[in-house]
Amino acid sequence: MRRTRKRHDEEAEINITPMLDIVFIMLIFFIVTTSFVREFGVDINRPDNTPPKDQKVSEVIAVRINELGEVSVDDRPTDVGRVRALIESGLASKPEASVVVIANRQADAGILVTVIDGARSAGASKVSLAEDAS
Amino acid sequence: MARKHAQTEDDSEINITPMLDIVFIMLIFFIVTTSFVKETGIDPIRPEADTAEHKSRGNILVAVSETGRIWMQKKEVELSQVRALAEGVVSESPESSAVIIADRGAPTGVVIDVMDQVRLAKVNQVSIGAEQKN
Repeated sequence: MRRTRKRHDEEAEINITPMLDIVFIMLIFFIVTTSFVREFGVDINRPDNTPPKDQKVSEVIAVRINELGEVSVDDRPTDVGRVRALIESGLASKPEASVVVIANRQADAGILVTVIDGARSAGASKVSLAEDAS
Repeated sequence: MARKHAQTEDDSEINITPMLDIVFIMLIFFIVTTSFVKETGIDPIRPEADTAEHKSRGNILVAVSETGRIWMQKKEVELSQVRALAEGVVSESPESSAVIIADRGAPTGVVIDVMDQVRLAKVNQVSIGAEQKN
């Protein structure tokens, strides 16, 4: 029997079509899964253990929230809806003041968000959150 | 001068090599930047905020229910576990940001504690989830 020695093909043949198929499907998968986060949020800062009294009193607008959810801006009790207006007027007299929200632990988080939101809408440059130690 | 009429090839040749180059690079890019967002497991009623921004890289989600229970990754967790879970996500994707989805009636103290724990896990951007007011 004559053996014909087959010459092995020097070039390796890669099947392009299935590879492209797989690669494109993976690509589309990853493109789609990276865009699935749909959360909206309000940024918050926490002062690093500097009690608000360390800053000069004139540069801080203190907004307190007590455990019943009552809000007071610079010791003036107010309604949650008027927080923004009061902070705006506070900023008018102390332009570079930062707003510190001192919230009681029992207060509702919704009030906290409304206050922070109001402070940011009023144009405060820095809004930070502190805990009421009492 | 004898003009040589160059034969234009009828079938358009797609250059495979540059296309594969581009496709592979895009694929690797998306594989590296994808971070799978794990849902919290509960759906609290978020407070409304005017300044709520879309958190595009919010991949650490922590939910605080109305009763102060903390949920992460579809199970209820204790405050002490929040930091470890957050650190796990940060090790996978260092540019993580966190969104604390607190119910409107959630106690502010728990929200602040969760925020501190997430900060300790070296997450720099922390925000509180809110709905956009329309």
